[in-house]
Amino acid sequence: MKLDPITIEIFFHKFTAITEEMAITLQRSARTTYVKEAGDFGTALATPEGRFFAYPNFLGVSGFLDSNVGPTLERIPELQPGDVVITNHPYESEGLATHMPDLHLIRPIFHDGRIVAHAWDFIHSADIGGGVPSSISPKFTDLFQEGLQIAPMKIVKAGQMNEDFLTFYRANCRTPDVNLGDIKAMLAALRVGEKRILGLIEQHGVDTLMHAQQDLVEYAGIKALKVQQTIPDGTYEFWDYLDDDYNSRIPVRVRCKMIVKDGHVHLDFTGSDPQVEAAYNIPTGGKRHPWLTLKLMHFVFSNDRSIPLNHGVFNNVTVEAPLGSILNPEPPAAVGIRSATAIRLNEALVGAMTKAKPSLMPAPSGGIMIPSVLVEQDARSGARNVMVLQSLVGGTGARSGADGVDGRDSSLANQRNTPIEKTEEEAAATITNYALRRDSGGAGRWRGGTGVVFSVKIAKHGSAVLGRGMERFVFRPWGVAGGKPGERARVVVNLGLPGERELGKLDIFHPQPGDIVTIMTPGGGGYGDPLLRPAEMVREDVLFGYVSEAAARDDYGVVLHNGQVDEQATKALRDSRSAAKSNDDFYNFGPERDAWEAVFDDETMCELNGLLMQLGLAVRSKRRSEIYLNVVPGLAGDDASDLVSLIGEIEPARARLSAEIQRLRTDLEEFAKETRQ
Amino acid sequence: MAEKRYRIGIDVGGTFTDFVLADMAERELWFHKEPSVPDDPSAAVDQGIRALIENHGISAQSVELIVHGTTIGLNAIIQRRGARMALVVSQGTRDVLEIARMRLPSSYDFTEPRETPLVPRNLVFEVSARMDARGRVLQGVDAAEIKELAAQLKTADVEAVAIMLLNSYRDPSLEIEIGHALRNELGGLLITESSVVWPEIREYERCLVAGLNSYIQPLMTSYFDRLESRVKSVGLECPIYITANNGGTLGIDTARSRPIDTVLSGPASGVVASTRVGAASDINKLITFDMGGTSADISVCQRGTPEFTSSTFVGDFPLMMPVVNVAAIGAGGGSILWVDDLGLLKVGPLSAGAAPGPICYGRGGDKPTVTDCYVTLGIIDPDNFLSGRMQLDAAAARNALDAIAEQLGMEGPDRALEAAEAAIRVATAKMATEINKLLAHAGVDPRDFSLMAYGGAGATHANLLADEARLTSVLVPTAPGTFCALGAVLADVRRDYVTNARYLIGGSGQRAQDDWNRLTAQLAEMEDEARRWVEKEGDLIGAHDFAVSINLRYPSQAYELEIFIPPEQRERLSAALVSQLFHDEHQKLYGFNEPDSALQTSTLRLGVIGRVAPVTLPNVGDARPTTIAARKIWYGGRYLDAAVYRREELGQGATVNGPAVIEQPDTTIFLLPGWNAEAGRQGTLRLRREVQG
Repeated sequence: MKLDPITIEIFFHKFTAITEEMAITLQRSARTTYVKEAGDFGTALATPEGRFFAYPNFLGVSGFLDSNVGPTLERIPELQPGDVVITNHPYESEGLATHMPDLHLIRPIFHDGRIVAHAWDFIHSADIGGGVPSSISPKFTDLFQEGLQIAPMKIVKAGQMNEDFLTFYRANCRTPDVNLGDIKAMLAALRVGEKRILGLIEQHGVDTLMHAQQDLVEYAGIKALKVQQTIPDGTYEFWDYLDDDYNSRIPVRVRCKMIVKDGHVHLDFTGSDPQVEAAYNIPTGGKRHPWLTLKLMHFVFSNDRSIPLNHGVFNNVTVEAPLGSILNPEPPAAVGIRSATAIRLNEALVGAMTKAKPSLMPAPSGGIMIPSVLVEQDARSGARNVMVLQSLVGGTGARSGADGVDGRDSSLANQRNTPIEKTEEEAAATITNYALRRDSGGAGRWRGGTGVVFSVKIAKHGSAVLGRGMERFVFRPWGVAGGKPGERARVVVNLGLPGERELGKLDIFHPQPGDIVTIMTPGGGGYGDPLLRPAEMVREDVLFGYVSEAAARDDYGVVLHNGQVDEQATKALRDSRSAAKSNDDFYNFGPERDAWEAVFDDETMCELNGLLMQLGLAVRSKRRSEIYLNVVPGLAGDDASDLVSLIGEIEPARARLSAEIQRLRTDLEEFAKETRQ
Repeated sequence: MAEKRYRIGIDVGGTFTDFVLADMAERELWFHKEPSVPDDPSAAVDQGIRALIENHGISAQSVELIVHGTTIGLNAIIQRRGARMALVVSQGTRDVLEIARMRLPSSYDFTEPRETPLVPRNLVFEVSARMDARGRVLQGVDAAEIKELAAQLKTADVEAVAIMLLNSYRDPSLEIEIGHALRNELGGLLITESSVVWPEIREYERCLVAGLNSYIQPLMTSYFDRLESRVKSVGLECPIYITANNGGTLGIDTARSRPIDTVLSGPASGVVASTRVGAASDINKLITFDMGGTSADISVCQRGTPEFTSSTFVGDFPLMMPVVNVAAIGAGGGSILWVDDLGLLKVGPLSAGAAPGPICYGRGGDKPTVTDCYVTLGIIDPDNFLSGRMQLDAAAARNALDAIAEQLGMEGPDRALEAAEAAIRVATAKMATEINKLLAHAGVDPRDFSLMAYGGAGATHANLLADEARLTSVLVPTAPGTFCALGAVLADVRRDYVTNARYLIGGSGQRAQDDWNRLTAQLAEMEDEARRWVEKEGDLIGAHDFAVSINLRYPSQAYELEIFIPPEQRERLSAALVSQLFHDEHQKLYGFNEPDSALQTSTLRLGVIGRVAPVTLPNVGDARPTTIAARKIWYGGRYLDAAVYRREELGQGATVNGPAVIEQPDTTIFLLPGWNAEAGRQGTLRLRREVQG
C-alpha cells in the first residue's frame, strides 16, 4: 500500500460518507415508492476503470457492490466533463442493469482533463413501459415485452440536458413525471459525489486520492482473502431448483461448482439449465457479477465487519457461467424477475460452501419474496383499486450455534413489511391473521426460522388476489448436517372452514366475498440432528408456540407433560429413534427432490444440458420442455398432485429419459452431418 | 414565607449529576456537580440540592421549581431491566412484536441477531375485540373472555400490561373498555392503552409506544416517588417537572402516567439550551455538538429552535413519537484506539466510558483513548483537570500511545505524539463525515452554521471538528459541562398530541368543504384537550401556544409531507392556506407541484407549549484575560507555543488568538492557530476562522 495507515483510514471514512451523502440526497427527493419505502436504489463511487471503490454502509441496496460500470462507458465514444451516461440495458451494459426498470446513471469526474473517478447511482423506477404496468411479469418471454431498452447513451452532454432523449423517454413510460422526478434526484446525487471528490482533491491532492482508491481496494482484498482462507481447499458441487419456469411446470436447475485453493474461489455454473422462456434469466455477461457472488460477500462480511465495501473484496474470486444458460442468457431473453432465480443460485452456492465446511453458512432460508397484491373493484364504477397486501418472506435457516430467525429473511432484499392498519386503510378486506407459522421451521439441533401465515378476508365482489415470486411450493428449503427441511409454501382458501381448498401456486385468484385466502411461507432449513437439541430448548419452543407438542415428540423426540419435559420418556424415545435411524444423510431435501433426482440425477442432467446447449436458441427451449414432458407426462396438465405422485414409478421414467437423451444425441449427430454436407 | 425566586435544573449523567441554580430575581446562574449514585440516582439529587442551598445561603422554601432530567427509563430499555409485562392484542396479531417490521439489522451479516422482542410470546394474549379501519366495531368486547384473560394475567404475575388493538388509533373505546375491565379485576396493575398514549396508525410502532411505556412505568413511578420524598425531606415545597423527549417539560404526575415521553430527554435538553444560548448571540443556524465519554450527539437547528423527528430509536426499538432530532455518533473522549491486523489505526467503536475510563484517569483503564491523546498532545493539563480535582497520569497515557506508534511502525522520539495526533485526525474525520451527512439530510450548506460545543469534551474537540468540516464558527457556552441541566431550567412545558384525520381537502365542491369543516372541528377538539391538560399542569405556566402540523399528500402520490402551520396563521387557517403551504414545500423539495390538485390529509399533530417565565441568561463583566501559562501543544506534526487563559477572565468583548488553550472548571477549550475567540455579552465564546489575506 502506498499511503500511510492514517490517511488510508481517513479516506475510508470520507469515501464511504460521500456515497452515503449521495444516497441521502437521492432518497430525499426521489419520487418512486420503490426508492422511498423499499430503498430500492444504490449509490457508489467507481474507479476510472469502472469498479466500485466506495459504497454506502447502510443506505440503499446492499447487493450491487460487485457491479462494473466499465462496459457501459466503453460504449460511449468520448466522455467529457459534465457528461452523464444512462442505461437500463441488461445486455449492452453487460449486466450492470439486471432488469429494465432499473435506471443506471454514471457521471465521470474529471480533474485536470483526466477521469479520476465515476459517480454512479441507480433506482428501480416506477415503470419503463412494456406489456404490464410497472413493467415486470414472469410470463414475458423476451426483452421487447419488458419495456423501453436504453442502450448506454448520454443523458447530459457537457452539462446540457439531452432533451431529445427525455422526449423519447417520456413517451415510452406510463409515469413520465414520477420518472423524471427520480432522474432529477439521481443527477443531484451524482453532483454531490463529484463535488465531494473535487473537495478531497483540494484538501489532500489528486495523487493521494488515486492512491487511496487503490490502497483501500488492496486492503479489502487482503482482508477478504483472510476470511476466504477459512474455506478448506477442494472442489464442492451443489445444485438447487426453482419449482418451475412459470410458463410451464418444469423445474429449473441452478448448479454451482466451487473450487477453492488457498482462499481463491472459483465458481463454475456449468451444468445449470439453459435460459428459459420466462422472465427468470439473470444477465451477468458471464463475468464476475454481483448476483453470482452475493452469498460469498455475505460470508465475508459476516466474518469481518470491518472490511471496507469495495470491489477488492472480490479480488480472489473468479466465475464461469456458460453463454445461453439461465445465469448468462443471450439476448433477447427476458430478465424481469431474475431475483427468483438469484435466490436459488444463492442457495446453490450456500450448499457448496456447507459441503466444504458445514459451519460456514446457515441452512437455506424460506427462500421466497412474495409481494401479495389485492385488487378490489368498485361495484358501481368498476374502478379498480390495486394495493400491496403484504410482502411475505419465510424464516432464515439455522446455522451451527444459532436458530434461524422466525418470519424474517434478510438474504435478498431485507425489506420492511406493510402495517396491517395501512393495508386496511386502503382496502375493504380485513387481514385476519399475520402470524408465525408453527412447526414450519426445519427441525434440528438448531431450528430453522418459521415462515408466516397471512390471511385476508375478502369483502367485495370482483376482488382478485395476486402473488408473484411464489416458490418453494414443490422443493423444500433443505436441512443441513442432519437437520430437517423447512415446510413448503401453501396457499389455501377457507382454511379450517367448510369448503377449504388448496390453491397451490397462485398467479391470480378470484375469491368470493367472505372467502378467507391464506398464504403460508416456508420455514428455514434446520441444522444438525434434532434429537440432539436440548430438551429444555424444545420445551421453550413449545412454551413460546414455535413448535407444537406433537412436533416436539415426532421431530425432536421430546415428551412434554403439562409444559414440563418428561425426562424418562424423552430419553427412551430419543434412544429408540437414534437406534432406528437408517441413514444419516448430511442433507435432507425432502421427498419431492429425492423423487425428482431419482430420475433426473446430476450426471444425467449435466449431460442433457451439455447436449441442449448445442441446439440453437430458437429450438433449445422447445426441445427441453418436450423431453421433460415425455419423461414426466403429469407435468403437462393442471394436475395439482404432489410431484412425487406425478413422477410415478422411477424406473420407467428413467428409461424414458435415457430414450429422450439418445434421441437428442442422434438428432445432434444428424444435424452435424447435415452441416458437414 | 420566603419569596419564591430560585429554580433548580438537574441532569443525571453516568458519572456526574449536574445542577444549575437560577436566581430569577438577581439574574444569576450557579453551577454544581455531584458524583452520581447509580443505585439510587435520587441520592445524588438530594446531596446536590443540599449543597446548592448551603453554598449559596438560600432558604429551601425560596425554590419555586425543580426541573429534572433522568435516564433511568432509557437505561432500563437499553439494558432490558424493565418490568415483567404482558401484551394484549387483537386476534391474528399475536406476533406483532416477533415479526416487527420484518427487516433484520444487517443485510450483509447473517450472524447479527434480531432484537429480542419486548414481550416474550407466551405473555402476548389475543382477544376477539376488533375494529375496522373506519372505526366500526366488528367484534365487541367479550366480558367472559376478559375475565378469563384477567385470570391468566394474574397467574402470569405481571407488573404491567399494554393493550394494542388493531385500528384503535381511530377510536380508543375498545382498548379503554378492556383496560377498565382489567383494572377492575386486577386492582393496582399499571395498564397502558396504545390509543390513549399515542393514537397513530401503524400497529407495530404504536404497540411499542404502549409497550415501552408499560415496560418502564413501574420503575419510573417508584423513582419519581422517591425523588418527591427526597425533595420534601430537604424542605423544598415546589413542583417538580421532568424533562421530555420533545425538549419541553412535564409535571411529575404526567410523567408518571406517560414515562415514555421522558426517555430521550437528555440530549433534547442540550439542544434546547443551545438554541437559547445561540439566540442570545443572534445565531439561529446551529449544529449542536455534545461530546461526552462514550459518544457524541449532534443535531441541526436551522431556525433557532430544536427540530423534531418521528423516526428514532430507543435501544433496539423504533419510536414514532416526535422527539428532538439528535444523532449519536460513536466517538467520545473514552473511544478506544487500536491498530488492526493490517496496520490501520482505528478509533472506536469500543469505549472505555466512565469506568474504567481512559488510561490517564488511573482507574484501571488499560487501553488508550481519545482523552489520553488530548493529554499527551498537551491540550489538557494533567495537573489541572476539572480544576485539579482529578490528577491525570500523563506518562501512562504517553506510554500507551507509544505502543500504538510502535504498532503503526512509527519511529523517533516524538512518535507517541504523532500517533496521538493521527488518532485525533481519524476521530475528527469520522465526526465530520457524520455532520456532512446530517446536513445533506436537511439539504443545507455547512458554511452558514455554527457549531455549539458542550459536554465534557465538546469544547476540547470543537475547533478541530469545525476546521475539518469547513465550518467557520464555533460557540462555547459559559458552562459546557452542565449544559443539559441549564437546558432543563430554560425549557417550557410541552406535550404533543396526534390524531388520525383522513380527509380530502382543497378541492372544489361540497365534499371538500365538509371534509375541511370536519378537520378543523377535530383540530379544535385536540386544542381543547391540550388546553385542559396544560392548564392543570401548574401555576408557573403563563400563556400557552399551539404548534400545529398536518401530514398530507397528493392523492396521486404515495409519499407525505408534514406541513407546519405558522402560529401567526392559526387564526386564519383555511384549506387554501394549507394547500398553498403544501404546494410550496413540494416545489421546494421536488422542483414541481400540482396547484390544482386536491390534497389527502392523514394525520393532525398538535404540540401545546405552556410558557414558563423565562430564565434570562446573565451578562458577564468586562474582565480581560492574562496569560496564566504557556504550554507546548503538538499540532500539525510539531510543537506550538500556546498561551493558556482562564475562562472566567474572558469578559464581554475579550479576544484571544490561537493557538491557545482556555481552561475552566468543567472543560478545556483548544483554539487552533488561524482561529480566534471572542466573548459575547453573556460570556458565550465565539471561535472564528481568521479571514485569510
